[in-house]
Amino acid sequence: MERGELTLKGRNLVRTFGKGKNEITAVNDVSLELYRGKVSMLMGPSGSGKSTLLAILSGLLPPNKGDVIALGRNLWEMSEFQRRRFRQQNYGFIFQGFNLLPALNARQQLEIVLRWGEGASAREARQRSEEMLDLLGLEQKHHLLPEELSGGEKQRVAIGRALIKKPSYCFADEPTSALGWEHGKQVVELLTEAAHRQEATVLIVAHDPRIVPYMDRVWNLRDGCLAEANGDGEPTV
Amino acid sequence: MFYVLAILWHERQRFLPGVLAVAFSALLIALQCGLLLGLFSVTSIPVDRSAADIWIGAPHVLGVDLGRPIPGRFFSRLASQPEVEPPEYYLQGFNYWTKPGGGSQLCMIIGGRLRDGTLGMLRVLPRELREQLTEPNSVVIDKADMVRMGIRKVGDTADIMGNKVRVVGFAERQPSFAGPYVFCSIRTARPLLQMLPDQTTYVLARCKNPDDAQAVVDRLRRYDDMTVFTTAEFSLRTRMHWLTTTKAGIALGYTAVLGLLVGAVVTSQTLYSATASSFREYATLEALGIPRFRIAWLVLTQAFWIGILGVLLALPVTLGLALVAELLSVHVLLPLWLLGGAGGITLIMAFLAGLGALRSLRFIDVYSLLR
Repeated sequence: MERGELTLKGRNLVRTFGKGKNEITAVNDVSLELYRGKVSMLMGPSGSGKSTLLAILSGLLPPNKGDVIALGRNLWEMSEFQRRRFRQQNYGFIFQGFNLLPALNARQQLEIVLRWGEGASAREARQRSEEMLDLLGLEQKHHLLPEELSGGEKQRVAIGRALIKKPSYCFADEPTSALGWEHGKQVVELLTEAAHRQEATVLIVAHDPRIVPYMDRVWNLRDGCLAEANGDGEPTV
Repeated sequence: MFYVLAILWHERQRFLPGVLAVAFSALLIALQCGLLLGLFSVTSIPVDRSAADIWIGAPHVLGVDLGRPIPGRFFSRLASQPEVEPPEYYLQGFNYWTKPGGGSQLCMIIGGRLRDGTLGMLRVLPRELREQLTEPNSVVIDKADMVRMGIRKVGDTADIMGNKVRVVGFAERQPSFAGPYVFCSIRTARPLLQMLPDQTTYVLARCKNPDDAQAVVDRLRRYDDMTVFTTAEFSLRTRMHWLTTTKAGIALGYTAVLGLLVGAVVTSQTLYSATASSFREYATLEALGIPRFRIAWLVLTQAFWIGILGVLLALPVTLGLALVAELLSVHVLLPLWLLGGAGGITLIMAFLAGLGALRSLRFIDVYSLLR
């Protein structure tokens, strides 16, 4: 695989939960590298530590050991305030449960991120939001509330919301698990397309092997240990 | 602002208790204070319904109904002031009214000049009634007081301190505070109030130019054997005396504060639970780069709008209830400053409730969205 610029590096990451006899190692000495414009997938069964690793890499959960280097800066050596700011400026997230604000229509879901996050003007926010929704195939749905959208459409709005501020990184936690395969496939295609176009570093956590063919790189996590996977999503070692 | 209003409208069922709580608080404050003002405005009616600009009474007099006899010679002190028109005597005081059928009732005797242009409260009586009062020992009472004074018709008689008086007519809409009014001439009033011929309770005067009243009052204050007031001062002094003496103000104020507390708690809880239940959405916004202060501001703006909506809802209800009270002969005074003050205090309360609800922001944890 052709590798672009190295943008995120996890080194010897360890994370445990509980103490003494009840201690569980969720992430066990994991190292990985992610590249600009590439979509990587972290797969594994439930409880394998995927979400914990995603949280560590995205600056939400501190590791017991190890470093995360993002854009040349050690994420876990920053102060809480600096890390939060870094995250706000550079990270986009897509969550399993969409988490759209029920009162806002599709366009406003994106606008609010630009207006309150970047301080964009109403006009600019509207224009950029409409462009993004059009790119995601939601031309006719700008005005609809979440309750009027299908599951796939909601997740597309969530993707648009995560990518609207052109983040350097996009982390997606089980973005297709609440969708049927038809919608799930569309969502993955749109996400990978948008990531490539925006040159974002994308890490998707999922356990559905059907999305493996769309990925640039696939990692398999079992019992907290990481291995690079083959095209079937199976570990190569 | 738009996002806040959109959320409020979409979640209106959730926010409704907060709006109602604010409305309840504003209503309670405005109505309690309005009742209080209305109640105590009755105490100063003899002052407020006079045409005088200046009042001279006994030293340290506390209110219009607590006047004591003063020498009639004080008349000349006022008459000698170039700014005033000819002064007049005005008698007012409590005594017991013995009903024709037995039993007694405390009443307020008001005696004044009967001619047109009289300065005292007798000016509220139509000329025909005042003319009838020229007959010695004739009195007029308010129609609303007939039952409690044991009077059924014109011509009925009663007794005040051994003096037989005859009711020659009825006044209308002259509400009294401590005892019903008994209007009569100065000559009739003196024996009823056990005053000597050269005594009065007050000397009243009107200024040629009402703006001069304060200057005349200031000049006359050099006399320490009498008290001088402008009409506005005496009205306020009378109300404040009853307000502080009866402690009714404290009692009503206490319930108003209670209403405010109930409003604050309900509003705060409404906002708290609304925010707590949306923590996933807010955590997502935070994950997407929206700073925490923006979300805090969202909650505070919601509080502000809940306050505005509550006050707007309270306004017509307050006015409606005040109207109902008036129909029941309960006087409620709702000046603009009171409505504005009640609204302002309630808005501050809503804003403070919003501040209290900010503690719910601790639920916002982006990591929780990954678990």
